[in-house]
Amino acid sequence: MGGKGLKSGALGLVSSLVIGVASTAPAYSLAATLGFVTFYVGVQSPAVMLLAFVPMLFIAAAYYYLNRADPDCGTTFTWVTRAIGPRTGWLAGWGILVTDLVVMPNLASVAGVYTFSLFGAHGIAANSSGFWVTFVGVIWIIVMTAICYIGIELSARTQVALLGAELVILVVFAVVALSKVYGGHIAHSIHPTAVWLNPFKIPSIGALSAGMLLAVFIYWGWDTAVTVNEEAKDSRRTPGRAALLSTLVLLAIYLIVSVAAQSFHGAGFLTNNSSDVLGALAKAVLGSPWDKLLIICVLTSASSSTQTTILPAARSSLSMAVHKAFPKRFGDIHPKYLSPGFSTLVFGAVAAVWYMALTLISPNDVLANSILALGFGIAFYYGLTGFACVFYYRRHIFRSFKNFIFVGLAPLLGALILTVLFVVAIFYYSDPANSNTGNQAWLPFIHFNFTFLHQHFYVKKGLGPPLVLGVGLLLIGVPLMLIFKARNAAFFKRDREVAVSVDAPAPPLTPGVIPVTD
Amino acid sequence: MAGDIILGYDGSDGSNAALRVAVAVAKAFDAPLTVVFGYEPNPMGGETADYKNQLEKIGADHLAAAVKTAKALDPSVSVEPLVAALRPVESLLEASLERDARVIVVGGSGERPIVGAILGSVPHKLLHRSTVPVLVVPAPED
Repeated sequence: MGGKGLKSGALGLVSSLVIGVASTAPAYSLAATLGFVTFYVGVQSPAVMLLAFVPMLFIAAAYYYLNRADPDCGTTFTWVTRAIGPRTGWLAGWGILVTDLVVMPNLASVAGVYTFSLFGAHGIAANSSGFWVTFVGVIWIIVMTAICYIGIELSARTQVALLGAELVILVVFAVVALSKVYGGHIAHSIHPTAVWLNPFKIPSIGALSAGMLLAVFIYWGWDTAVTVNEEAKDSRRTPGRAALLSTLVLLAIYLIVSVAAQSFHGAGFLTNNSSDVLGALAKAVLGSPWDKLLIICVLTSASSSTQTTILPAARSSLSMAVHKAFPKRFGDIHPKYLSPGFSTLVFGAVAAVWYMALTLISPNDVLANSILALGFGIAFYYGLTGFACVFYYRRHIFRSFKNFIFVGLAPLLGALILTVLFVVAIFYYSDPANSNTGNQAWLPFIHFNFTFLHQHFYVKKGLGPPLVLGVGLLLIGVPLMLIFKARNAAFFKRDREVAVSVDAPAPPLTPGVIPVTD
Repeated sequence: MAGDIILGYDGSDGSNAALRVAVAVAKAFDAPLTVVFGYEPNPMGGETADYKNQLEKIGADHLAAAVKTAKALDPSVSVEPLVAALRPVESLLEASLERDARVIVVGGSGERPIVGAILGSVPHKLLHRSTVPVLVVPAPED
C-alpha cells in the first residue's frame, strides 16, 4: 500500500498540557472528594493532597519510560504482560477496566446532583442516590457513551477555552473565599495555617491511607499527557515537560482550593456537604448568580472526565481483544464512526446497569461508596505499572544516574507507596464504621479482630462497602482470567521480556505470536 | 505531481458515488487521482497505537477496494491510495495542498442530516475551508 505520507501534526506543549489537566478534571475531582477527605483527615486535607502527589509523580516516570518502549493503547495491560507476564498483565488490564467502571456511578451522580443544583432544585440535589439524580445520571452515561461511539470531538480551541475557564473559576472561587475569611464575619471560618500541610497531625495511619487513596484519585488521569505523545515532533522533551507542568498546575489548584474551602466554614462543613461540596460553598462565597459558574464548571469538568474514562476503557478492551486476551468482538471498529464500537457500547451499558444496581444496594451512599472504592483500583494498576517499569528495565537501572532515578528508584518507590496504601486501606475499611457510610456493613458473615501497626482492626459483622466494591471487583478478575486462560492458551504462553535499551522501542507484541526472548 | 484530483473515500454509498464522478473528472482532465482515507483517534482518550493500527487496516482495505473499482471503471486513469493519520477534513485539505489539487471530490450525504448537524459534515467544512474547488456528489437515491 503506497503513500502513507500524511501524519497527524505534533501535539504541542499546550495541547499536551490541556489533555493532561482536562483528563484529570480538577473541578469534578474536587467536588467528588473534598468532603470525604476532610471526613478522614479534617483540616489536614492540604497535607494529604500534597502527599498523594508524590507516588503519582513517581508512577508518571514509569508511564513515560514504558510508553517510550511500547506506545500501545493497552498501556498497563501491555507493559505488565511484557515485563511481569501474561497472567499479571491480564489482571492489570482488568484493573483498568474495573477502575473505569467504578468511577462511572460517581461521575454520573455528580453530574445529576450538579444539574439539579444548577437549576436551583437543591432538595432533589441533596439526595444523591434518589430517583431523579439517578435518572439524570443514567441519561448522562447514555449521552456520553453516544458521544464516544459516534466520535464527536470538541475542537482543540474549545478544549483550551473550557479548561482555562475551569481553572480561572476555581482560582477566583478560592481567592474570593479567602478574602472573605480574612475580611471576617464568616461563620465558623478559620484562618489558614502551615500546620494544615503537616501530615503527622493526621490521627491514625488508617485515616492517612484512606485520605491518600482519595487524594490519589484527584491526580488520576494526568498520565494521559505522558502517553499521547509518541508522535510529537519533539517527543523527547514535550511529554516530560507537559507532565511536569500539568502536575504543578494541578498541585497548585488543589492546594489553593482545599485551603480556601475549609477556611470558609471549617472542615466539618465540607464533610457535612460531601455530596455537593462546591455547590454548597459556591452560593456563600460567590453569591448568586455567580455561583452558577462554579456549578457549570463542575459539569463541564465531569463531562470531560466521563469521556476520558469511556475512551481509554474502550481502547483497553480493544487492545486486549487485539492481543487475543479478550473476546474478539471487543476489537470491532464501527465501519462508519471508526470508534471501538462494541467495546464502547458494552462499557456504557455495563456502567449504566452497574450504576443503577449500586443505587439500589446502597441507597444512601452511592457517591461515598464509589469514590472510596476507586482508590483500590488506581493503586492496584498504577502500582503494577511502577513494578513493571523496574522489572522491564532492570538491566539498565545501574547504567547511569538518570536511569537509576527515573526507571529505578522513582517507579519502585511509587509502586511501594501505593502497595502500602492498598494494604493498610484494606484493614482500615474492613471495619464498616470507617467508610463514611454510616455503619452499613456488607457480607455480614465475616468478622475478625486484628492489630497492625498499633492500629486495632475489628470487624464485628461484615465488611465496609468500599472494600467489598473495590477489592471484590478486582478479585473477580482472577476466575475470569483463568477462564480466558483455559479458552485461549496462546496469549498466556507468552514469555517475559526485558528491555534492550532505555531509548529503543520494544519489538512489536504481535497478536497471538509468542515473541522470542533471551 | 500536480493538478491531482483528490477523492475522500470511506466506503460509504456517498463516497462510492463520488468515486465514479472522480474517475470521470480525472479522465477528462487527464489528471492523476488520489484516493484519501483520513482517521484520527480522539487524543483525549490517551494512548492510541493499537487502535490506530486497526484504523489503518480498515483504511487500507477501503482504499484497495476503491482502487480496484476505479481501475475497473477506467484502466487509463492513474490512481494512488493515501491513508492519512488526520481527521477526514484535515487529511483532504493537507492532500490538496501537498498535491496542488485541481479539485476535491466528496460524497454528499454520508451522514444522516441530524448527525451531520452535530458533527459538522465533511463537505460542509470543506466548502468553508478549502482553497481549491470542492465537488460534492449526492448519494444515489434508494
